[in-house]
Amino acid sequence: MAFAADRGVRLAAPVALVLVAGCVVPLAVLFVYSFFKVDFVAIVHDPTVKNYVRVAASATYRGLIGRAILSGAIVAVISAVIAYPVAWAIAKRVYLLKSAYLTLLLIPLYTGDLVRIFAWRVVLGSEGVINSFLMWTGIVHEPIRALLFSPFATHVVLTYDYLPFMVMGLWLAFESLDDRLLEAARDLGAGEVTIFRRIVLPLTAPGLIAGAMMVFVLVVGDYLTPQLIGGSSGITVISAINDLFGTAFDWPLGSAIASSLLIILGLLVTLAALVVARSTWGRSVVSGE
Amino acid sequence: MNVGRADTDGPRAVVLLEALGLAKSYGPVAAVQGVDFRLPVNAYVTLLGPSGCGKTSILRMIGGFETPSAGSLRLDGADLAGVGPAERPVNTVFQSYALFPHMTVADNVAFGLEVKGRDRNETKIRTARALALVRMTDMADRRPNQLSGGQQQRVALARAIVNEPRLLLLDEPLSALDRRMRKDMQIELKDLQRRLGLTFVHVTHDQEEAFALSDHLIVMNAGRIEQQGTPEEIYRRPATTFVADFIGGANLFPGQILATSDGAATIATAFGPVTAASVSGLSVGSTAALCLRPELLTPQPDGPILSTVRHVVFQGADWLVEVEAAERTVTLRLESERGPEPGERLAIGFDAASAWITAGTIATEAGHGVRG
Repeated sequence: MAFAADRGVRLAAPVALVLVAGCVVPLAVLFVYSFFKVDFVAIVHDPTVKNYVRVAASATYRGLIGRAILSGAIVAVISAVIAYPVAWAIAKRVYLLKSAYLTLLLIPLYTGDLVRIFAWRVVLGSEGVINSFLMWTGIVHEPIRALLFSPFATHVVLTYDYLPFMVMGLWLAFESLDDRLLEAARDLGAGEVTIFRRIVLPLTAPGLIAGAMMVFVLVVGDYLTPQLIGGSSGITVISAINDLFGTAFDWPLGSAIASSLLIILGLLVTLAALVVARSTWGRSVVSGE
Repeated sequence: MNVGRADTDGPRAVVLLEALGLAKSYGPVAAVQGVDFRLPVNAYVTLLGPSGCGKTSILRMIGGFETPSAGSLRLDGADLAGVGPAERPVNTVFQSYALFPHMTVADNVAFGLEVKGRDRNETKIRTARALALVRMTDMADRRPNQLSGGQQQRVALARAIVNEPRLLLLDEPLSALDRRMRKDMQIELKDLQRRLGLTFVHVTHDQEEAFALSDHLIVMNAGRIEQQGTPEEIYRRPATTFVADFIGGANLFPGQILATSDGAATIATAFGPVTAASVSGLSVGSTAALCLRPELLTPQPDGPILSTVRHVVFQGADWLVEVEAAERTVTLRLESERGPEPGERLAIGFDAASAWITAGTIATEAGHGVRG
């Protein structure tokens, strides 16, 4: 056993090295920078927590971080609602060409951010597909400008962008869900809502959690979509960080915001994991079938 | 070929479930081809047949998981058409048990009562009682994956009977257990059925299991009912060659009917005409088969069946002897001190009073399988 464990460590070592070099080290550098300050155009290597105080004191930065987290949560919930039936259908009702459906689902991801975003501008724009159609039918006489360059548009596109991650997570969970359990529940007198709440939801929870985690983190970190679709609402915490690093040349403050966001996300994920681990179904989910 | 229908139960039996012309097709495949049966209250009923004979389809139609393609099912006189599985007073013990992996044993058992909105106290008491009934009280807080196959089986039983159904369906419930555990569970199942006074409908392909459990046995083949009745009736007086072969592997000798009289017939076999009790409805000139159980055949110096011994297997209580006679493989059970030697010539006789003439032709070389 000791030998096997030893070998495992040695096999894992290169991966650990890459992770440390490629991920932990830059983050550590970023974190260290957040304690420095800027004197005109020079970074003063003089430790201070002033940057964090500025972030905490600023309603703008607090608001941006809060909005990013709220957006992540909203998009995660919306994509879960859409993805459940889709994932169920692919797992349980598609027998032929299952991989074709899954590939179709992923095609938007192959096209790249900008292509997708501009495609949506064509759909949502004031001379776009939806507005033209509405004008043609006479439902509206002037194009609805709020369709594009609004938080609504941003969330539509974000949901579209990251939905496949949720579908994938749930699809895997549905693939391992035994249909006979649903039959058994029905046999015992459960209605469809009860079956979803008491059987399907707990047993697909690992997929839901994995999918939600992916969507949440990706939405919080998305930069292009709000910038190009959100219009004046497109300022996000990420664009703020970008501005601080670029135009404003305030690396320490940018680092402090980035670190704050990272810490808050870390805390939220830990909290979610704890809640899951404390609940009865969470324990059974984690302990396996 | 529905010989010996449910009316053999006699008029006193109260009918719980009645199937009339029940059929199920999956696309072009007819799984069940119009069957009729009546199940009495408080009985252990077994649906027996080889795999693919339609027995599970029947069970699933009773449970409400499949919609019949034709025909009807009536429970306590009420038509079940359009009644979903959740609304039927019928519960199922699934072949794979289908226990909810994320719930404890007690939560699994309480599930049916909870979703029907029973009050907490009642649910608790009934759950405890059901667990006690299957001797799983100590395991109430375990999860299904912490239980052995036999224990999971018991939980599945408790989860079904706690709802006090009118009818309990069991889909090959013992197939996943080892032989010893199967024997123990058979006794427990039968005992449970008697104590609860419920009707159990048990699907199996194992004739030994069917015999051990059943008050009423329905033998199926290729989507049809071959015969139904008590295990004794089916063993002693098989209605068809299929039943004779499937149940206890009788030796079948084909021949033409020479004469019939009340409840008996004379058949021309390869070793001469034999007169014996027979199924009703045989006509002179039709093809039928003489059915001789392995235990009814004995070596007799002047026996009519001349044979050559092929295989001899010592089975403890008796010898299982396979001989070749009249170009067929014939099986004997001999309770003698010494078994015959392979290659030995053996003249075999039988008591015509214990022979039976059954309807139907023999498609394959029946009686070949050394069964039971």
